[in-house]
Amino acid sequence: MGSQLKNIAAPDFKEVIGLLHKKTTIWPYLLIAPALIVILAVVFVPAVNAILMSFQSYDLRRPSQIGFIGLENYMEVFQDSLFWSSLVRTALWVIFGVGFQFIFGFILALLLNRKFKGRGIARSISLIPWVTPGVLIGLMWRWIYDGSYGVLNDILLRLHLIQDKIPYLAQESTSFPSVVVTIIWQGIPFFALMLMAGLQGVPNELYEAADIDGANKLQQLFRVTIPSIKNTIYVTTLLRIIWVANSVDVIFNMTGGGPAYSSQTLSVYIFNKANSLNLGYSSAMSILLTLLLLLVAVPYLKNMFKNQEA
Amino acid sequence: MKRFLSITLALTMSMTMLTACAQKPAESQPASSAAETSSAASKPVTITHWYWADNSDYSAKMQEMVKDFNATNKSNITVVAQEYPWDGGAYSENLFTAAMGGGGPDTAAWKLTSTPLFTSNKLLANLDNYIANWKDKDDIDPSLYNTMKQAGGSDSIYVMPWNTQVLYVYYRPSMFKAAGVSVPKTYDEFLEACKKLTRDTDGDGKIDVYGFGMRGAKGGQEPWGSFVWARGGDFENLTTPEAIAGMQDFIDLYKNGYAPKTAPTDGFNEIIANFKSGKTAMTIHHIGSSKDMVKTFGDDVAAFPFPAGKKQWTSMGDTENVIFEKCQNKDAAFEWLAYLATGKGQETWCVTTGNVPVSKRVQQMDEFQNNEFMKVSIEGQFSAGIFPILDTTTEWINTTWPNTVASALSGKTSAADAMKTLQEGLYGKK
Repeated sequence: MGSQLKNIAAPDFKEVIGLLHKKTTIWPYLLIAPALIVILAVVFVPAVNAILMSFQSYDLRRPSQIGFIGLENYMEVFQDSLFWSSLVRTALWVIFGVGFQFIFGFILALLLNRKFKGRGIARSISLIPWVTPGVLIGLMWRWIYDGSYGVLNDILLRLHLIQDKIPYLAQESTSFPSVVVTIIWQGIPFFALMLMAGLQGVPNELYEAADIDGANKLQQLFRVTIPSIKNTIYVTTLLRIIWVANSVDVIFNMTGGGPAYSSQTLSVYIFNKANSLNLGYSSAMSILLTLLLLLVAVPYLKNMFKNQEA
Repeated sequence: MKRFLSITLALTMSMTMLTACAQKPAESQPASSAAETSSAASKPVTITHWYWADNSDYSAKMQEMVKDFNATNKSNITVVAQEYPWDGGAYSENLFTAAMGGGGPDTAAWKLTSTPLFTSNKLLANLDNYIANWKDKDDIDPSLYNTMKQAGGSDSIYVMPWNTQVLYVYYRPSMFKAAGVSVPKTYDEFLEACKKLTRDTDGDGKIDVYGFGMRGAKGGQEPWGSFVWARGGDFENLTTPEAIAGMQDFIDLYKNGYAPKTAPTDGFNEIIANFKSGKTAMTIHHIGSSKDMVKTFGDDVAAFPFPAGKKQWTSMGDTENVIFEKCQNKDAAFEWLAYLATGKGQETWCVTTGNVPVSKRVQQMDEFQNNEFMKVSIEGQFSAGIFPILDTTTEWINTTWPNTVASALSGKTSAADAMKTLQEGLYGKK
């Protein structure tokens, strides 16, 4: 059988190679096919499945009731007060989380872009929050904030800044700001890293010319540096908006969305609902979150490309 | 293009042929393996088992038991035990996700509340025949089998009893003495003790010891249930004036400062840490913590059943084991479960954890007859019960209860509104 195959395969293989060389249009398709298949399998199929699920009563606790229910999940979501409060919290989570990550990340990038002794070590250390897994960050900060044994209370008490221990994660008024601080801490290095890469691409001649024109440091920052790295800022901010809006790990491990839902963002609500096995309902909320993110991302990208062309 | 397609087809065909060539010897296997099948008893069998452990000692003991079973069973069974954290019930959710995805273990440690979810998705093996033909069947009280049946919502048994834990109140006798408080005999005395035990011991104007270690995070519904019942309420209707009064007591303990400020987010680890560090004078848990408490305090720790008010109720924690329907070697799996329920595994585990054994033989052992905490467990057994096992119970425990109670503790929601939310979360809106 082996020799039989050899006789068939040998001439055909040469023909295939020859054919592929001639028909160059086939090559690109063949080359992207593996990646395309993987993307279809792990992104497209689950996404379509989630869309279909959002129109079904898909609660695994009640398998006998699984079936198509049209827009009922969406109607229920719109009447759900927890959905709206989580949505508002998601907006605050993104605005404050990404906003402060950008500000502190930019400052860090400017500092690390200067030449000083030990810069390599400083750059490496500054990356620690970014390379630490989100679950670990959640657990670590939960202990830092702990109302009984947390190090934050201990430091503030020693500095006489507070009179009594504060249960940061157990109070509705402080739990959400506490998790926002954590996400800011986590995301600063990413902004710093990306912006630093952008800063290194700004030609020195621009600063020399600005010097000759008499521009001070602040003017150089706003007239030379920021316009030069505008595209990096755009892309990095967009990525972070999407990631932060979708992030679950930090909040879930610090508060689980509580107490009294006070730190529950939409992604955490979706996760909790999916965890309680109501997959239809959580899919409907996921679709809405995706649409909302698209509403932000599309005009944002349009504006970026428009500026690029200009 | 036609040529390309014909070549591709040819290649595909040749590959099919190659596959066919490779499959042939496999098809001839059944005849040669017939002898092996007949000697199935001696054929090595591996059973994967999931469990959780409350501390590292229990974890090590479970692995020891597995080693012992693997070495002593005569059916060539190897159990591979994998530990997962309980995480306030997330264990059951992870187990469900794994099983629904076609993975998960052959057998697993279990809580009754999860049963309807798994049985309605046909994930558990029916144990009726195994138990009917089991020589040790009568070593377990028939009432326990009935509880297992009720949990599954049918006349069949899907869950194998293992051990139970009755919640009671741990207290520090030295703190009681210092505050001039005697062991509460009634619910009102208990509330009064919470107040008196809350003290500023060093005179700096700050509270150093709180009377009650309240659990507001997941799992806190169990001690909370005792307050609802003590005022005359029950779980059938959480909106009765009696049930609301119980909730109000729970809120007042926090509002009046008799429980730590962190209570809304305190879970198992926090209430135990607070009690062990001397921050709280009383807390509620079961006998599973007793060895650890004695190790920390020696004689300065004792227990009493949650006292009776208009009614008396305490939570009966339960731990069982199940076999999954997808398990290929159910006979072997049942042998492992039997080892845990009435065999040496029952003895070892219950002696180590202090949990109440389900085996009548093991209950008669000296370790259990002369244990102070076991006595309190047994004393509390007559008022012990479980939460309604519904398909909403898991979500109610994990999300609805902690968030609703946290809102009530903060004063944002009244006791009546909180109870209405809890009622709707459990039984649906009317």
